[in-house]
Amino acid sequence: MVQYAALRLPSALLVLVLASVVIFGILRLTPGNPAVVLAGPDANPATITSIEHDLGLDQPLPVQYLRWVQGLVTGNLGHSYVLGAPIATLIARGAGNTLELTVGAMILALLLGLTLGILGATTRNRLAQFLLMVVNTVTFAVPTFISGVVLVLVFAVTIHLLPPGGQLSLLKDPSLGIQFLILPALCLALPVSAVVARFLQTSMRQVLQEDYIRAAVAKGLKRHLILLRHALPNALPPVITVLGIQVGQLLGGAVIVEAIFAWPGLGQLILHAVLSRDYLLVQDLLMLGVLVFIVLRTAAEILQAGLDPRIRLMG
Amino acid sequence: MAQAGAVDIVRVPDRLAFTRNRYLRALQTPRGLLGLGLVGTIVLLGILAPLLTPYSPTFQIRLQELLPPSGTHPLGTDELGRDLLSRVLNGIRVDLIVAVVAVPAAAILGCLAGLLGAAGPGWWDTTIQRAFDVILAFPAIILGIAVAAILSPGERAIVVTILLANVPIFGRLSRDALISQREREYVVAARLIGVSPVRVLFRHIFPNVVDPLIVQLALSMSLAVFLEGGMSFVGIGIQVPQPSLGNLLNEGLPYLATNVNYAVGPMLTLTALVVGLNLIADALNAGVLRR
Repeated sequence: MVQYAALRLPSALLVLVLASVVIFGILRLTPGNPAVVLAGPDANPATITSIEHDLGLDQPLPVQYLRWVQGLVTGNLGHSYVLGAPIATLIARGAGNTLELTVGAMILALLLGLTLGILGATTRNRLAQFLLMVVNTVTFAVPTFISGVVLVLVFAVTIHLLPPGGQLSLLKDPSLGIQFLILPALCLALPVSAVVARFLQTSMRQVLQEDYIRAAVAKGLKRHLILLRHALPNALPPVITVLGIQVGQLLGGAVIVEAIFAWPGLGQLILHAVLSRDYLLVQDLLMLGVLVFIVLRTAAEILQAGLDPRIRLMG
Repeated sequence: MAQAGAVDIVRVPDRLAFTRNRYLRALQTPRGLLGLGLVGTIVLLGILAPLLTPYSPTFQIRLQELLPPSGTHPLGTDELGRDLLSRVLNGIRVDLIVAVVAVPAAAILGCLAGLLGAAGPGWWDTTIQRAFDVILAFPAIILGIAVAAILSPGERAIVVTILLANVPIFGRLSRDALISQREREYVVAARLIGVSPVRVLFRHIFPNVVDPLIVQLALSMSLAVFLEGGMSFVGIGIQVPQPSLGNLLNEGLPYLATNVNYAVGPMLTLTALVVGLNLIADALNAGVLRR
């Protein structure tokens, strides 16, 4: 596992550095001078020059890039002119909410996915198999912006069980906060749970064919013990890899889910930043998103290598 | 299995089947037919949109705002008095364009990149693979946000996002397939007897590697519809007043409690489209790849 990590980490780091160059380039590629956009239509040249100086736009490009990366590493992310606040503060405020949403979604996705996956691998009932397949196809295919609207329509508008949107921190008021969290987290969890169920079902079916399972059955172990203690751990490695990728996709999904449920997280922040042309904020948020995605994906790959010693580096 | 009788048993379904084409046969399963039916219906509705409704999607009828469904307006009207059926049907057209134009374009570009990587000098391959790594470091919607930030929101941003998201997928698939085939005996043999490299590529290798690409085409179309819907839904895609399924759904959101009909049209259409495309991909996957 350590050896695999040593081989895998440099290439993840390289991708990260290249991605940061691309993201930095976004600010350069956009038509128009950001300082002119920020200063507004009637600004005098002196104001523009001073904003240019503040943003460091009067420096050569490599210097600007290195200063930006230095800021990212030291946590000095700059100032959002549009929102009038330090970017670090804005991100810290949204990150807590997005984290709450994604962790909630992850827990629901695992609960749903593992349950449906085990059911799918073990049931012999044709009707149950068919129903599980239909549920899986639909939850896998239907985009979050549709399932979200359906959830609001059913649970908020029709039966008035849960609020249709908004957010309250779980830390402040757990019992009320969770009511706001359930629908968005479920919406974000559905596609992930379908992928988890699909991969677990396939790998569990294979594991159940193994000799040690037959041995466990033969010595009279209880059914749930065989499934949970013997089969499940051995069926997990492919699920963990796909989970690493899916957690990254949760970040993308969070943008849409936050828009449906008016959840004040990083997704809302980046959309606001794009629409108000707050480029420095866009740049920092994109970098954060890519960083989290690559870290999770690499961690999942290394973890999988640790769980399954048969995995060797190919090519 | 090597007996003559066994061969005949295998052949019977062939003769009974409507066609010998393996793709069409894979689609003649319950899943495939359902998928084709769903996608076909939506495509027809989109193409025939001007014939199916007399109203322009952007024409505002005074004092006819937020009407419930009726004979003249089967889906009702929106808050500006526009016919919702007409907006939904015309909204489909954007998705048809992105799915039918952008995805095949991405497939061709991706395969070209894969070919360059597999056939060119080693440093080409490394460069192209690293570029793909960087693009794949962005989750699809985040990629859309980055593109919308550069190009400003709109149809162009959606098309570019779909190209960027799909080129690496097709590039990887085609490169890996080419590399796995190029040392095979039939390829070496064809080269030895003097078949030109271009002919080897298209007549000999291509038929052996095309199946995963076809399955991916269906999956990528579903991804394209998702990206159009998602980007337009959050405001960085198709901009109002031009209708698209994504922005219609977003506009209907505040009226869920009072005018459900507003959101139902785009919801059903989008669901039919993505579920249908996924079913087609599933059917092809089961019928062509896993044999």
